[in-house]
Amino acid sequence: MQLFNLEIAIANLGPLLAGLLMTVELTVVVIVISLVFALLVALGGMSRFTPLRWLVKCYIEAIRGTPLLLQLIYVYYVLPEIGIRLNSFTAGVIALTLNYSAYLSEVYRGGIQAISRGQHDAAAALGMTRALAMRRIILPQAIRVVIPTLGNYFIGLFKDTALCSVVSIQEVVFTAQILAARNFQYFTLYTVVGVMYFAVSFPAARLVSYLERVAKSGYRRKRS
Amino acid sequence: MNPIPPGGAQPMIEIEGLHKYFGGLHVLKGIDLSVTAGEVVCIIGPSGSGKSTLLRCINHLEVAEKGRIRIDGQLAYREEVAGRFRPHSNRAISAVRAQVGMVFQQFNLFPHLTVMGNVIEAPIHVLRKPKALARQRGSELLAQVGLADKSDAYPEELSGGQQQRVAIARALAMDPKAMLFDEVTSALDPELVAEVLTVMRDLASLGMTMLVVTHEMNFARQVGSRVIFMDHGVIVEEDTPARIFGAPREQRTRDFLRTVLDR
Repeated sequence: MQLFNLEIAIANLGPLLAGLLMTVELTVVVIVISLVFALLVALGGMSRFTPLRWLVKCYIEAIRGTPLLLQLIYVYYVLPEIGIRLNSFTAGVIALTLNYSAYLSEVYRGGIQAISRGQHDAAAALGMTRALAMRRIILPQAIRVVIPTLGNYFIGLFKDTALCSVVSIQEVVFTAQILAARNFQYFTLYTVVGVMYFAVSFPAARLVSYLERVAKSGYRRKRS
Repeated sequence: MNPIPPGGAQPMIEIEGLHKYFGGLHVLKGIDLSVTAGEVVCIIGPSGSGKSTLLRCINHLEVAEKGRIRIDGQLAYREEVAGRFRPHSNRAISAVRAQVGMVFQQFNLFPHLTVMGNVIEAPIHVLRKPKALARQRGSELLAQVGLADKSDAYPEELSGGQQQRVAIARALAMDPKAMLFDEVTSALDPELVAEVLTVMRDLASLGMTMLVVTHEMNFARQVGSRVIFMDHGVIVEEDTPARIFGAPREQRTRDFLRTVLDR
C-alpha cells in the first residue's frame, strides 16, 4: 500500500475544498467583526472612564490567561447550561472573535500610543476635541502602522480555526477527520489538508510583508 | 517711549499670576503678561527658563496650577468659584484654542495629509467651513507663505523650512486672534531659518498679534514691539527691543545677551 494515494486525494478533493471554504468563511467573518470590536476595546481601554478601563483590562487578562480551545468549548458546551444555545458556527465565531480581539486591541493600543505627542498637541492647538483628533489625526496614522501586525495575527487566526473542529464546525480539519474515519487514508487526507493551508497562508504572508514595506515607505505622492 | 501702543487697544492675551509646577519643579513663578492686539512680543531667555511652558499654558497644552489667562477679554479654560478652580468643558477649552494659533519647534504637521489637507483640516472639521471655501482660503495662505505649488505634496516631501511655513499657514487658516510661535526655527538647518522668519516678519507687518519664543535675537530686535527676558520661571525684564538690546537694566539680562550675542 502506497502512502500517498492520488486517486483517494482526487476523490475526496470536493468535500475537502468545501471544508477549506468553511475555514476561509470562518476566518473572514471573524476578521471583519474583530477589526471593529478590537478597536472599540482598545479605545475603551484608553477611556477616561475608570470602570470601563477596568472592564477592558479584566477581559483582556481573562482571555490571555486561558487557552483558545477552552474558550471554544466554553462558548459551545457550557453556555447552553445557562440557557444560551448557539449553533456551532456562531459559537466558533464568538469564541474566536473574543479571543483575537483581546490580542488585537493591544496591537491597536500600541499603534495609537506610537503616535507622537506633537500630533496630539497640534490637533489640540487647532481646537480639535479629543474625539475628533482621535478620529481624524491619530487613528488614520495608527492603523497604517498596525496593518502588517494585524495581518500576521489574521494568518494565525486562519490556522487557529482548525480548533473549531471540537465544536463540530465542518471546516477542513474536521472534514478530513470524518473522511479518514471512513477510509483510513490519514497520510493522503492530512497531507492534502496541509497543502491547502499552506497554499493560503504562504501568499497571505507574502502580502503582509508587502504591506510592511508600504507602511515603512512613508507618505508620498503617487508617482505617475 | 511706551512699548504698549496707546489708544483704545485692548489686551488680546492677558496673564495674571501664572504658576506651573512639573512635579516638585517650579517652572513658572507668577507670570504677569499682557499682549495688546497687533503687538509682536518676543520672549528670550536661556533654555529651561520656562518660555515654552508659558506658551503651552496659554494654549492649555500645559495646565497651570495657579493664575488666570484671558483671551480677548474672556477668561479661558476655567472659572474660579469660591477660591476653587472649576475647569471649563472640553468643548469650551477647544473653542478657545481654536482662536489662538500655535506653531511648534518640531512642525507637527499631519504626515498622512497633503499640504492642503493639513491646512483645511481644522477649518472644515472644527469651524465647519464649507470645503470649497476652506480650499480657497487655503490656497491664499499657501501663496502667502510662498508654497502655492506644494499643495498636493505630503509633509515628508518638503524641507524643514517648507514644513514650518505650512504649519504657519495651517494655524492661520483658523483666522486666529493671536499666534504663538514656540522656537519655530530651532529645529531648522541654518540656511532654512530665513525663509520662515521672512514669513513671520510679513505676518507681523499685517498686524497679527504674535507671541514669539525665540533664539533669533535679530528677529526680536527688528520685529518685536516688545522683548521679554525670562529666567528661572520669572520675567526678569521687559522693554522695547532697543532698550533690551542696547541698555538692559538687569545684570542677568546683560549676562544672557553677552553669551548669545557672543561679545
